Amino acid sequence: MQENKNALKVAVVAVLTAVVVVFTMMVRIPTAKGYLNLCDVAICFIAFTFGPWSAFIAAGLGTALADLISGYAQWAPISFIVHGVEGLLVALIVRQKGDETISAIKKIAAGIVCVTTVSMGYFILSAIFISGFSVAAAEIPGNIAQSGVGVVLGLAVATAVKRAYPPVRTLAW
Amino acid sequence: MTTNTFVAGDAFLYHFDPRAKLLSLVLFCSWFFLPISLVGLYGVVFSIILLGSFNTGVHHTWRTFRSILPMLLFMVLFIPFNVRSGESLVTFGTFTFITREGALQAARLGGRFIGITYVCTLLFATTPMTEVMLSLRWYRLPYKASLVVTLAFTYIPFIADSFSQISESHKLREAGEETQKKNIFKRLSELLPTLTSALVVALRSIPNLAMSLEQRGFGRTEKRSMYHTLNAYTHPFTHFMLSIMIPVVLWVLCRT
Amino acid sequence: MEKSRSGSMNFPDVSVVSTDCLKVNDLSFTYRSWCAKKNEPILSHLFCTLEEKSKTLLLAPFNTGKSTFARIISGVCPKYLPGSMEGDIQVCGKDLAYTEPWELLLTCGYVSQNPQEQFVATCVEDEVAFPLESLGLPQKEIAHRVDEALMQWGLEALRTSSNQELSGGERKRVLLAVQQAINPTLWVLDESFDDLDIHWRSQLADLIRKEDNTVLVLASRYLTQFDDLFDRYALLEEGRLHFGEKQEILSSFSRLCDDDLPNPLINQSISLKKEHMLSCASLTTERSRVSTLETNIFTLSVPSFSLKSGELRTLVGPNGSGKSTFSRLLCGLDTPKSGVFSLDERVVGTKELNRNVGYLFQNPDLQIFLPTVREELSWSLKRRKDLKNAQIQEMVNSCAALFSLDLDETPTTMSYPQRKALQAAVYYLLDRPFYILDELDNALTYSTALKIIALLRRNGAGILLITHDRTFGSLVSDQGYAITDGVLGGV
Repeated sequence: MQENKNALKVAVVAVLTAVVVVFTMMVRIPTAKGYLNLCDVAICFIAFTFGPWSAFIAAGLGTALADLISGYAQWAPISFIVHGVEGLLVALIVRQKGDETISAIKKIAAGIVCVTTVSMGYFILSAIFISGFSVAAAEIPGNIAQSGVGVVLGLAVATAVKRAYPPVRTLAW
Repeated sequence: MTTNTFVAGDAFLYHFDPRAKLLSLVLFCSWFFLPISLVGLYGVVFSIILLGSFNTGVHHTWRTFRSILPMLLFMVLFIPFNVRSGESLVTFGTFTFITREGALQAARLGGRFIGITYVCTLLFATTPMTEVMLSLRWYRLPYKASLVVTLAFTYIPFIADSFSQISESHKLREAGEETQKKNIFKRLSELLPTLTSALVVALRSIPNLAMSLEQRGFGRTEKRSMYHTLNAYTHPFTHFMLSIMIPVVLWVLCRT
Repeated sequence: MEKSRSGSMNFPDVSVVSTDCLKVNDLSFTYRSWCAKKNEPILSHLFCTLEEKSKTLLLAPFNTGKSTFARIISGVCPKYLPGSMEGDIQVCGKDLAYTEPWELLLTCGYVSQNPQEQFVATCVEDEVAFPLESLGLPQKEIAHRVDEALMQWGLEALRTSSNQELSGGERKRVLLAVQQAINPTLWVLDESFDDLDIHWRSQLADLIRKEDNTVLVLASRYLTQFDDLFDRYALLEEGRLHFGEKQEILSSFSRLCDDDLPNPLINQSISLKKEHMLSCASLTTERSRVSTLETNIFTLSVPSFSLKSGELRTLVGPNGSGKSTFSRLLCGLDTPKSGVFSLDERVVGTKELNRNVGYLFQNPDLQIFLPTVREELSWSLKRRKDLKNAQIQEMVNSCAALFSLDLDETPTTMSYPQRKALQAAVYYLLDRPFYILDELDNALTYSTALKIIALLRRNGAGILLITHDRTFGSLVSDQGYAITDGVLGGV
């Protein structure tokens, strides 16, 4: 009998989307300029643990819903694309067969790609559609900081979760 | 944590067919990018804000404006960096500070930003989320996709709840340890236990959710029927016509 | 409630002539192990036959495979709970080996012990409508059944409330309304009487009596509402089912729950290092409670409260009466609107309360984040500067022995009572002078819960137990507090 896993796929993506929303909205670490949120931590965790498709949908949808709920619906499409692509690319880079550990080179590559996608993605899209080039350029450093922290913490959390909750392996698809 | 964006009300936007509202959202958002006169742009933005105050109340309209105020200020501050050439408006000695083109460009960007913000906010403030999803399904969004969104909305409060309980419980567990001021890296690394527990609690709910979905018949071969419908909206055709006509007329009036 | 089962007419669910609704033949199940140690089978060589329209009560202490059994017969285990299964099962003539869970929608309906995990919709009415939509019923029929089920379970006012806004008892009622709207042939009710008020318990009993469905009720405590309700009684022991006479089953059950063991709290000798006293007087607090119905301000006032080292006190009251509001104040998570707490006659703030009052949340999983019991227990100790490694090792070892924990196991995959014991062990090592235990008896046998209390109290901690079970409360202490109409007073 061909195992039908549709319900599992829906459940995985739905819960992970909710996780991204909560990480984006609940944790705000005050910094020198404004706030840092943890959406990139959740996204990198998902990319490291669940693979490209879950990462793409959960990251894109989760950040878009978070924008929508916080009353910034105008940003939702941009967040969907930027973070969705971020999740997808990071997951594609670190994807591998079996349980072997991810090599350091792959991790660094994933980090660079993640930071570049987020900072350049927001820069280009918001420059064209929302705020113009100068304002968008001014936001690059903040985005670099946030996604950089996201990658590092996301990797740490992914390792911790895999060790603390071994059945997570049965959930990835 | 609340996930509600709906503002209760009874004005005419609440009785406007949500499918038509979605269409006009798309049309209006594109409209702002057409070559239109600045006066026309601000005229339309002003009418949309008026429309918003009439439907969702002045308080909600003001709150929306306040949420985008920092961004608008940012845009004003960055005018000097926008366009360097052209007729100068403000100069410091020989240094051109603000040019006419720069100021006009900022005005256009700002107006467009306010407009898009209010169009989006109005849709979600006057349409319950279930009806937004129903309309998207009418536009052929697959059932599975709309189910994912609905389930995410169901799980957000649960995960947010456990998240705050988890951080409290870790806080109580670690109470009594060193209390000196911590730098940002230290603070981030201290989040690790909380984040890990929160993720484990969330992941544990996945198999349960999958089980419940199947026990509630997700996967059956029958065509799903729908409990909620948009049948209460009785004039879809008129509303669709209005959604198309208004942006088109405005385009003809305001184009440059 | 007589249904026109249009759904089942189009899609016949009963295909074999057998009059047995459930037939389980030599069933064994072992959960997959995630560490080096192999798991023991949780069900072994289990046989069970339920005749059509029979009403059966299956008693089993917590965590002995009761819910696993229920999930296996509703088709979702081992699909979603990995493990190895042997034996064959027929539900209304369907061989489960070739049946997907959704095909059992009209055949076998499972109402979970933990309602949170069964919710799939954003609000109550959608929850009831979801399975009916899966059946493809016409919209009018769905609306009719939803209205009827909501009315039966007193949920009309909560139609559009979300799961998170409901109390435990209301959630149970929603699940029962869903079950009633589907009306499957075999009802599997896992602890469905728990958390329900007397009124709803007797309604559920009437429903079981009247409906001509086959009903299997799983319970870990015998309730008075069960009298004269069932025609068969069974006990789950060591992975097997024993059927028998009511009295015989009940007495073996109470032996199995260790109800005959002496109460460890009576005449317990405790080693008091230093006497402490935590107290407060004329405290008030406010909290706005948001619901779909109205936003009302909830107030709690505490004329006087005190807890001494070595004392046992209970705080009893129905759900939503303010028990947890008070506990949050007591351990310093919230600040009161007026009034202060004092410790040994000295006024203390939230930071000191955090340090002195341990709050064991109802859910033990909130703190677990490390891969082994050993790491979990030593985490806080390692961060203390006054302890050497060898000392830590010794403390962890003796603590694990006290709470019967295996140091190399993975906490997240342990059983619920073990996770609860781990949570208590973590706090035991923190050595707080006071503990608040929130609904400790939930999903634990009285005997296990009492054992945990006795261990935490060993070194002279003062304990406040929060419970809505008066029977359990009286086992712990005859002195306590209760909240009536927003005022906390002694009883």
